[in-house]
Amino acid sequence: MDAKVIKEEQIGRSVPRMEGAAKVTGRAEYIHNIRLPGVLHGKMFRSRIAHGRIVSIDTSAARAVAGVHSVVTGEDIQRLIAEPYYGPAFHDQPVLALHKVRYVGEPVAVVLATDPHVAEYAAGLITAQYEELPAVFNEVEAATSPIHVHDELKPAITFPDLKHLKGKRGTNIALDYKLRRGDVEAQFASAAHVFEHEFHTQHIMHTPFEPFVALAEPMDDSITIHTSTQMPAYVRLEIARLLGWPENKVKVRTAWLGGGFGAKVYVKIEPMVVALALLARRPVKMSLTMEEQFYVIGKHATTFRIKSAVTADGRISARKCEVFWNGGAYADIGPRVSQKSGFTSTGPYRIEHAQIDSAEIYTNLPPAGAFRGFGIPQLVWAYESHTDIIARALNIDPLEFRRRNILREGDEHPTGTAMRDAEFEEVLVRISARMGWDQPFDRGTGTKRRGRGIAIGVKASIAPTTSFALVNVSADGSAVLFCNTIDMGQGSNTSMAQLVAQVLGTSSERVRVTQADTDVTPFDMGTLGSRSMFHMGHAVRLAAEHAREQLEALCAETGIEYQDEHSIAQAFRKKFGMQAGNIFGVGHYTSRYQPADHDTGMSKEITPFWMIGGTGIELEVDTETGHVTILRMVNVVDAGRAVNPRVVDTQISGAALMQMGATLSEEMVFNEGELTNPSLAFYKIPGMRDMPVAIENEALEAETRSGPFGAKGVGESGTFGVSPAIANAIDDAIGVRLYSLPLTPEAIYRGICAARGEPLVD
Amino acid sequence: MKLPPLDYALPRSLDEAIALLSESEGQAKLLAGGQSLMPTLAFRLATPALLIDLAAIPGLDRIEITAAGVRLGARVRWVDIEQSEPLRTAHPLLVAAMAHVAHYQIRNRGTVGGSLAHADPAAEWPGLCVTCDAIIEVIGPAGSRLIEAGAFFSGPLSTHLAEAEIITSITLPAWPRGRRWGFQEFSRRRGDFALAGIALHYDTDAAGRVLDPHIGVIGACHSPHRLRAAEQAISGQVLDDVLIEACAQAGSAEVDPPTDLHGSARYRRALVHAMLSRALQQA
Ligand SMILES: Cc1cc2nc3c(=O)[nH]c(=O)nc-3n(C[C@H](O)[C@H](O)[C@H](O)COP(=O)(O)OP(=O)(O)OC[C@H]3O[C@@H](n4cnc5c(N)ncnc54)[C@H](O)[C@@H]3O)c2cc1C
Repeated sequence: MDAKVIKEEQIGRSVPRMEGAAKVTGRAEYIHNIRLPGVLHGKMFRSRIAHGRIVSIDTSAARAVAGVHSVVTGEDIQRLIAEPYYGPAFHDQPVLALHKVRYVGEPVAVVLATDPHVAEYAAGLITAQYEELPAVFNEVEAATSPIHVHDELKPAITFPDLKHLKGKRGTNIALDYKLRRGDVEAQFASAAHVFEHEFHTQHIMHTPFEPFVALAEPMDDSITIHTSTQMPAYVRLEIARLLGWPENKVKVRTAWLGGGFGAKVYVKIEPMVVALALLARRPVKMSLTMEEQFYVIGKHATTFRIKSAVTADGRISARKCEVFWNGGAYADIGPRVSQKSGFTSTGPYRIEHAQIDSAEIYTNLPPAGAFRGFGIPQLVWAYESHTDIIARALNIDPLEFRRRNILREGDEHPTGTAMRDAEFEEVLVRISARMGWDQPFDRGTGTKRRGRGIAIGVKASIAPTTSFALVNVSADGSAVLFCNTIDMGQGSNTSMAQLVAQVLGTSSERVRVTQADTDVTPFDMGTLGSRSMFHMGHAVRLAAEHAREQLEALCAETGIEYQDEHSIAQAFRKKFGMQAGNIFGVGHYTSRYQPADHDTGMSKEITPFWMIGGTGIELEVDTETGHVTILRMVNVVDAGRAVNPRVVDTQISGAALMQMGATLSEEMVFNEGELTNPSLAFYKIPGMRDMPVAIENEALEAETRSGPFGAKGVGESGTFGVSPAIANAIDDAIGVRLYSLPLTPEAIYRGICAARGEPLVD
Repeated sequence: MKLPPLDYALPRSLDEAIALLSESEGQAKLLAGGQSLMPTLAFRLATPALLIDLAAIPGLDRIEITAAGVRLGARVRWVDIEQSEPLRTAHPLLVAAMAHVAHYQIRNRGTVGGSLAHADPAAEWPGLCVTCDAIIEVIGPAGSRLIEAGAFFSGPLSTHLAEAEIITSITLPAWPRGRRWGFQEFSRRRGDFALAGIALHYDTDAAGRVLDPHIGVIGACHSPHRLRAAEQAISGQVLDDVLIEACAQAGSAEVDPPTDLHGSARYRRALVHAMLSRALQQA
């Protein structure tokens, strides 16, 4: 092999995606394609009411269908698992509805059959009788409503800051994060200017191309779960807890994931397939349809009330944030979203007096949880729209106003954590330079008006979390990395292989990464929140360093100079007399973290690193239709050092375009709790032909000193600024300010009519 | 879901197809491009016992251009129109409108006969037929008959086609030289069905006055129809900005759009105004 290639620096190299060829030729393995003998297929019967007590379920017609194996209800599950409730934050979600249903679409019964179509047909024959209860849907109403989704709160032991909610009755509030810094009210009373606004975001769906799919295979005294999950270790833990089994009797494995975006974190349909398989004593597979995904998990709808005090010279002196997160009927990981994101609600600004109330609220809607950005896009939408309104009202250039207030290196974030390796200002500088912010701008004519806008957001990482990794070097010098980071399309396998190769001094192409299998791949908290490159990156680096130490010792022992994989191979041969043996390197990493104080919400070390993303938008509004054409989208992020620039680039544009859909067109529309558009014909995801005319991405030349090789996460940063940058550009173009997402053509057109004093009357 | 269980037939002639259709007593469905029918079956919104595929019947895919006009066989696809060189001069309005029909993959299979029978109020082709005085030829057990496009539709997704009748061709009257035309539509995403759209054409006399205007609406209606008040507003006049605005107002006043998930009636009315005025400017 060419020595030059081997010696090449692996960090910063755009190594082609290792799975690319297999994916484009249709050979990559997906869970959906697994065929097992004797498998039963499950299809669900779902609640048609939003809230009620189950009086009876009639499954007789379904049982009578030829080919049906059995029909299972919540009570059947309870015969297997006495307390069949799961969830990472609260043990609130039953495997199948028990006693009560809490949202339209909640699984009530499952038909098992050898043919999925028979199961589906039979599920349609099930009927249920309910005693209907009043329901509550809006997050602000639910915060104080006498209607309660759960009788009693049941926090899981995982998160210390939820302990105080144990046994609480008569509330829908599943988490109440508070930040108290300084005295906001005194500032509001004396400030030169005070601004107050309320913003809304809508419920949306992740829409991975591969819907939820899982297959449980009971063995003699263990169970294997083949599942499309972002969190195999957690699935194992939670299934073991539900069954009361030791972890080593539960094996969880994945294949390639057809997207996740946060939908496939923690457990979703796994408890159900496991329970069904154990009851039936046969393998059970469930593959949800695209439409069913709407009823599993979505992104929080929010209401955000924000109030700022601004000094005469344009400095934000105080900010008060009240955020209501619509968590739906089951908490899932929602309380983490409202806390971990909640504490950043004041934005990337230096603000001395700050107050945040961020509450996760149960409602009778489908559950909401993690979604690319983990709550940050909802917050940035509000605070960066608000920031722009203030700048315009004070006649200060929006870029200048941001630069005047932006957090700089060493500044204290309102939580009390000092900013380190967080290039906020540089992100603003690069966006404005690319856009030519100080240059004259063509504002369009007639019915086509042009405007531009910018926005910037910040996200903390999830902490504290732990990753383990294992590097196995074979006798020919090639290596296999065992790690539970799930490559669901983001290219992590390629980047992780680069870290191993960098440390060992080999080429990335000589490193392979296994698919997760909890029997062999070591623990990792999960692939979410852009945590993997930082946390798993460190663990992989340490494992590779551990391997290298042993390899160097082996070389020393055999009198061979450690250079590259050839010298490694020689050393093995010399030591064992043939091409034989292994070297195992292990490593693990836990991030540093200090929990927020319960009363003040403050902490000196609230996150191991900050993620920063900003977007600049130039667009054209058709004033007669409200249609928006994005002419130019500029996304700039601080991702630390880019391990694989090409992967980083696609993460930025993927995130930004996903958020563009959430901004302009996607919306789950509910009528009394019933979803009216559960189909991709009515739920509008942008297509190839709806993309911006031009899109540019930039990852700053930056270094995260605490990160592996200077890197940090980048999976979500591209989402942050998109929504408010678009809204700010619309305002710039036509003088219409919108406070609710999505910014549909009709909403924009209605805004135009209202602004000229002729509101559309239906 | 998968399709319901059903039989499949591939008749070689129209007679054979009609016989199969009559024998089935309403239990059969004709299959053309399948772009509307197959989703309907997959969602089990229809459960016919038999599919009669028109693919093997000779002649149905022909485009004929004569002095009398343009005759399209029922199985002519959107791409056939889009890519037809002669049609660019023989009927430029048709060709221009095709860019708005769905996406390439769907245009590659969708047919003119299928679209008429499906009768989606937001579809381009039914609106074009109504606007352009098309004559629809159908054949059934009792022989063939001609139906004016304006009298073909009875509401959203319904037509006056009898149970065992097959659409065989559509004829559009000849397109005079110098005819002015416009086509404008608005949809949420590129390739979506229109929230509102306008097809129009008119001729002019030596003095530049509008003669015989034809203005049709899609999307903002229960089935496509002509906008008579809008036509009236410009007939015999020389178009200018004031007249275009008056025509757009008349058109948006006379439509009766539905409110649904895609948009409110009030918004669609506003879109009719914008599309009509743009189509006139385009012409
Ligand atoms: C995602 C998507 C987007 C679309 N967007 C648009 C759009 O923007 N604009 C638009 O116009 N269309 C759109 N369509 C519809 C598409 O153009 C269809 O192809 C067309 O409406 C039906 O034509 P077909 O040949 O596919 O008919 P089929 O689906 O085969 O048949 C439709 C119906 O017509 C009947 N039928 C077929 N041929 C005959 C005949 N010769 N005589 C009597 N009855 C017959 C069938 O029995 C059936 O009831 C879209 C479709 C899809 C899937």
